[in-house]
Amino acid sequence: MSGGAQYVVAAYAVIWFLLLAYVVVLGARSARVGRQVEAISRMLDRREQKDVEPDPAEDRA
Amino acid sequence: MTDSPARIPGERAAMIWGVLATILVVAATIGVFLVAPEDADQGVIQRIFYFHVAIAITSLVAFAVSCVAGILYLRTRNDRWDDVGEASIRIGLLMSVLVVITGSIWAKASWGTWWVWSDPRLVTYLIVVLIYAAYFVLRSSAEDDRKMRYSAIYAIAGFASVPLSFYSVRVAESFVHPVVFTGSGANMPDSMLIWFVVSQAAMLALFIALLELDLVGRRSERALRRLALRLENA
Repeated sequence: MSGGAQYVVAAYAVIWFLLLAYVVVLGARSARVGRQVEAISRMLDRREQKDVEPDPAEDRA
Repeated sequence: MTDSPARIPGERAAMIWGVLATILVVAATIGVFLVAPEDADQGVIQRIFYFHVAIAITSLVAFAVSCVAGILYLRTRNDRWDDVGEASIRIGLLMSVLVVITGSIWAKASWGTWWVWSDPRLVTYLIVVLIYAAYFVLRSSAEDDRKMRYSAIYAIAGFASVPLSFYSVRVAESFVHPVVFTGSGANMPDSMLIWFVVSQAAMLALFIALLELDLVGRRSERALRRLALRLENA
């Protein structure tokens, strides 16, 4: 590359890389929130199951 | 029929701004590299100008937004303004770092050196970056309401450094950093100015998109914490 084109490429590469890295960080946070929603959803499912299933001790009585 | 999940406030705005920013960034990149004429003096190196200056102006806009958010937080004590202030400074700082790096690359290509300590624009801009970097040190040193109050005051006080950087090159006697935009208009032909305007619009749209995305993330996390707390207590 001549006439300083390598500097232009370097400058724009830095811009794209850092902006993309920031978007990836925001995406990672969004994924973490998604995992937490999943965990809460599983916790609610377990609770509902527990409420529906009869207590074995009550059945024997 | 199942209920569709409720939207987090700002989700639609983040999506619209994200799409707009993507379109503008692609258009600006095409314009800067394929359409804009080559500068007779600097040649291809001048193409750094379009995004370098657009990002610099956007970073100062981000700091202005944080200053306004700080004032609004102190008046209303609404957490939302603390979120806006912190997110704006985070994005503004990212853009400032980009300005310093791309500026150094341009300086090396144009002046033969990475940095000129005697230039007021470069040094005052670096001071602005360091002032806003210290904002996060301050935030990590306090808790809850005090953290938000101190951050708001710091964001307002820190903004005083922005005009200092902006006007330094205009009032200083000796400098190497060029001034493109003066009181009498832009010091470039319209065929270049149009692509600078597109680049500037792209960077502003990108700032708003990143800000909205950040705020949506914070609202989601806050809603989740409240939900988890309610479930634990139930």
